[in-house]
Amino acid sequence: MSSRDPVQIAPQSVRLFHQSLLKTLIYFFSLIVILAAAYKALPLVMDALFLLVIASILTAILNPLVDRLESSGIKRIWGALMVFGGIFALLGTGIVRGIPTLLTEISRIKDMIQQQSATDSLNSMITDINLKIAQYVPSFKLDTETLSNLSSQFFGQLGSILASALDTLTTIVFILIITMFFLVDGARMMKGLIGMVPNRYFEMSLNISYKTKKQLTNFLRGQLLAALGVGIQSIIGLSLLNWIFDANISGVFLIGSIAGMANMIPFIGPFMGMAPAIVVSLFNNLGDPVAASNFYYIFHIIGMFFIVQMIDNNVISPIVVSGSMEMHPLTVILLILIGSQLGVLGMFLAVPAWGISKVIVHEVYQGLKGHHLI
Amino acid sequence: MSEKSKISYPLFESFKDKLKPKRSQAQMALSQVNIFGRLSWQEIKIVESAVHIRTFAPNEAIFRQGDPGSGMYIIIEGRVGIFLDIPLQGPKKLSELGEGDFFGEIALLDESPRTASATALESCTIIGFYRPDLMDILKIKPAIGGKIILSLSEVLATRLRFTNSELVKVSHQLEEMIETQDHE
Repeated sequence: MSSRDPVQIAPQSVRLFHQSLLKTLIYFFSLIVILAAAYKALPLVMDALFLLVIASILTAILNPLVDRLESSGIKRIWGALMVFGGIFALLGTGIVRGIPTLLTEISRIKDMIQQQSATDSLNSMITDINLKIAQYVPSFKLDTETLSNLSSQFFGQLGSILASALDTLTTIVFILIITMFFLVDGARMMKGLIGMVPNRYFEMSLNISYKTKKQLTNFLRGQLLAALGVGIQSIIGLSLLNWIFDANISGVFLIGSIAGMANMIPFIGPFMGMAPAIVVSLFNNLGDPVAASNFYYIFHIIGMFFIVQMIDNNVISPIVVSGSMEMHPLTVILLILIGSQLGVLGMFLAVPAWGISKVIVHEVYQGLKGHHLI
Repeated sequence: MSEKSKISYPLFESFKDKLKPKRSQAQMALSQVNIFGRLSWQEIKIVESAVHIRTFAPNEAIFRQGDPGSGMYIIIEGRVGIFLDIPLQGPKKLSELGEGDFFGEIALLDESPRTASATALESCTIIGFYRPDLMDILKIKPAIGGKIILSLSEVLATRLRFTNSELVKVSHQLEEMIETQDHE
């Protein structure tokens, strides 16, 4: 080859280079088309996606029960129907007996908060509390309006959540039907889905899906059991306060349920469970000198919830909750702030949703790493 | 054989055919594997609903050496090569397996990395039975899962006994060699 000749490229290399470039361009444009379609279609499928996610979570919670029934020789469909029968019986009892009582209780407290006479008594009570607490914390100052607004807002929102829950009965029925299908045919559906994965990633996908399912079930079961434990303990504790000190705290079951659910939010949850009990005790005992001398049982309630937290943190949670929920307090605060954009429900769901995502990402990462794909 | 016995009765034959239980190719393949040897046809049908039937193109990897092991494979159709990847030397063919053969059953018990690679030598149809499938069977049908685990334990026990006897033989040979050297 002379020095004037241009650099020669082997024709085969050129062809391969063009092929590879074409492939990359096709993949790139396909990706753009898919992303654009997904972006356009997302609002249309959002509702269906929401139903599927809730149904999947319910399936993960109920599946162990149906599995247990199947292992004892009952056909899967009958097992699922039995579990659903139990749920409907519980829901029916709850709706027929519990909801009207709860709504009455909420409206009673709301009325009491909004009554002028009650606010007048509240003024004297808050002045009393401010004077007593100022001895220890000079800068402390409780404001009537803030307290009244906060309480009214809290119970108002709670009422609206319950009311909208009743309004969305159709959604609940849809979720239950999808859950039923998932419970009976979920394994076959999953097998069909995983069957579509190419051979190269098949083993890995199967392992990831199995481990994620296992972790998710453990996580949800743990969270629910811990919530149930805290709820029951709070109900017992508040009943004991009523029995021993005549604390006059009404709506014990409602407050216990709130405390149980709020417990799913680490660090902040216990305070969220404690707040309604304190508010109810304050309003129920207005003008009672014995209650006033006992700081309206605020310290009794705080003490009781402290004991409940001690039992939960040292006995119940270590047994039932997996370690996947370990989070930095800052993460929890940020998550609650983000969740609060979607209302009270968003605040409740933000931390468990993050926990579930953490489990999925961890399992996928471990799977990819194990198969040397990353 | 007498002439009488050769006479066929078409109606009876067709009735007999209809009564014969229909077994799928996968069921037949599963029944030939020793770890499913204790299962009845009814139980094999349940295992069949849990396994995955996969097809592999010629030269396609079934699994690679070093991948975490997650299950066993039973060949329904085609031939599979087992290769050992030796550094600086490339893959060395250890064996070639065909229809009815199975491999990787120990991966049902632990996730330790695969010690060799398996590659389809021609177009293959293979049954994959993985640890998640075994775990599901153990959870939902514990009696079937128990039988599979028992058979798997028998396979391991047999291999362990074989390895022990080989070890004894080798150690005897070694002792003899040392004695001979001492005499010399």
